[in-house]
Amino acid sequence: MGLISEQDKEYLKNEFDKNLKREVQLLYFADQENESDYTVQTKELLEELVSLNENLSLLIKDCNDEKSMKSENLTLCPSIKVKSKRSGFMNFYGVPAGHEFSSFIEAINDMGSDNLPLSEDIIEDLKQIDESVDIKVFITHGCPHCPGAVRNAHTFSLVNDNIKSSMVDANYFDKISRENQVSSVPHIVINDKVSFTGNMPPRMFLDKIREVLK
Amino acid sequence: MELSLNIQSKKNEKKHFSAGIIGSGPAGLTAAIYLGRSKIDTVVFEKIAPGGYIINVEKIENYPGFVEGISGQELGKLYVQHAKRFGAEIIDEEITKLELDKTPFIIESSNESYTADSLIIACGSSSKKIGVPGEEKFIHKGISFCAACDAPFFEGENVVVVGAGNSGAQEALYISKFAKHITIVEFLDHPTCEPILLDRINKNDKIELLTSHIVVGFNGDEFLESVDIKDVNGGEVKPITAKGSFIYAGEVPNSNLVKDKLELDKNGYILTDKHLKTSVKGVFAAGNVRDTTFRQVATAIGDGAVAAHEAYKYLEENK
Repeated sequence: MGLISEQDKEYLKNEFDKNLKREVQLLYFADQENESDYTVQTKELLEELVSLNENLSLLIKDCNDEKSMKSENLTLCPSIKVKSKRSGFMNFYGVPAGHEFSSFIEAINDMGSDNLPLSEDIIEDLKQIDESVDIKVFITHGCPHCPGAVRNAHTFSLVNDNIKSSMVDANYFDKISRENQVSSVPHIVINDKVSFTGNMPPRMFLDKIREVLK
Repeated sequence: MELSLNIQSKKNEKKHFSAGIIGSGPAGLTAAIYLGRSKIDTVVFEKIAPGGYIINVEKIENYPGFVEGISGQELGKLYVQHAKRFGAEIIDEEITKLELDKTPFIIESSNESYTADSLIIACGSSSKKIGVPGEEKFIHKGISFCAACDAPFFEGENVVVVGAGNSGAQEALYISKFAKHITIVEFLDHPTCEPILLDRINKNDKIELLTSHIVVGFNGDEFLESVDIKDVNGGEVKPITAKGSFIYAGEVPNSNLVKDKLELDKNGYILTDKHLKTSVKGVFAAGNVRDTTFRQVATAIGDGAVAAHEAYKYLEENK
């Protein structure tokens, strides 16, 4: 039996059939020289996922290939970047398991479709951002509040190429979590300098980002 | 590897429903199942994740039918599947405003506006703050209300759990998987958790239960470093070194949305009659948010069924 239950596979097949109008690539960077249970299981999960729809593909890369990591604007390993011809920067540092599996599936659906679950006024305000915004959302797999924060950040990146969004598994990247003083999740770090905690509606989230940019 | 699915990919197109349910905990989703089976088009709004508060609970052992217990996350997922099977639409949007002056009732989220001919308020309740010095300062900096979210950050550390009711006891047992030592502080002279939980706490070497004590302050520089406690019968304030504290000292109803619109009791719980009708015709309340004597999954389920039955009757009578 795989990591995804048969029932969830059926559900996901329907979701992907409904949503994926274009090809979506899951770009998985892992340390190929030092595989662990964590990275092997992640690979299995991704292989199971891409088998569910012909528009999904998996490209496995080595984190030791620094040039590739840099060209994808990635700084941590392992990482899964969800890519398509649609612009947007949706990335997952660590495995998107537990509650975060939902935000991962939503990222795939969003990248493969024209979904944009944001109101017009928020979209307009996001378009006005003219400087780089790097959003890192630290999560734990048991946190039910976290996928909402990840989804907000990811959808913001669909609107404006200046915005890059990554989920960070706080337990796996414990050193980085400590450096960022994470003790409660979701913990959101903007441009590696300002942070706040808790999920919030998109308007409030956007206002926090704009405060940082002032 | 546990995988939890709760997806909403597409913007919802439908804006009017016969029945609107605010909150997707056990009460809200049970109401959705019953209304769905009555062929009532029903929408359920959820601000965090379907399943409501129970998805924070590691194991629910007193809900009939699950002999070995079931995780709150798994039970929530089953409720969602069940409600969807009978046609309920679940929208992940926080409702920010309700207009109940006339029908159809107006339901506003931060993104959209919806209408419904009848409403069931099932927003549940949240953990209550204890209101002592330092509490606000250290929330998210050592103080947490969600063990499922934050317990792993206190691996090998001392932790104080406030409250020895069922939630405090259950979460202390969960936190003991990570923390070095846990002190449960209870202001009564006895714990109020179920005896079966008390047995487990007594058998757990990492957990110490301190009754007749209250927390009087949280201290630290940027992050929590210690918790001040005091014997309710008098004596000195004593600090306990702790980097984490989880508060389970009672609950407050999530009734802000309706505070000027429905009659509430002095603690903010929505007043209902035995049919779960509120002070506004066509609006019903179910589960932890209403004035009731015992708040459990089992009682919320019963509420959801009654509220749905009454909402259905109301819709039939007002066609």
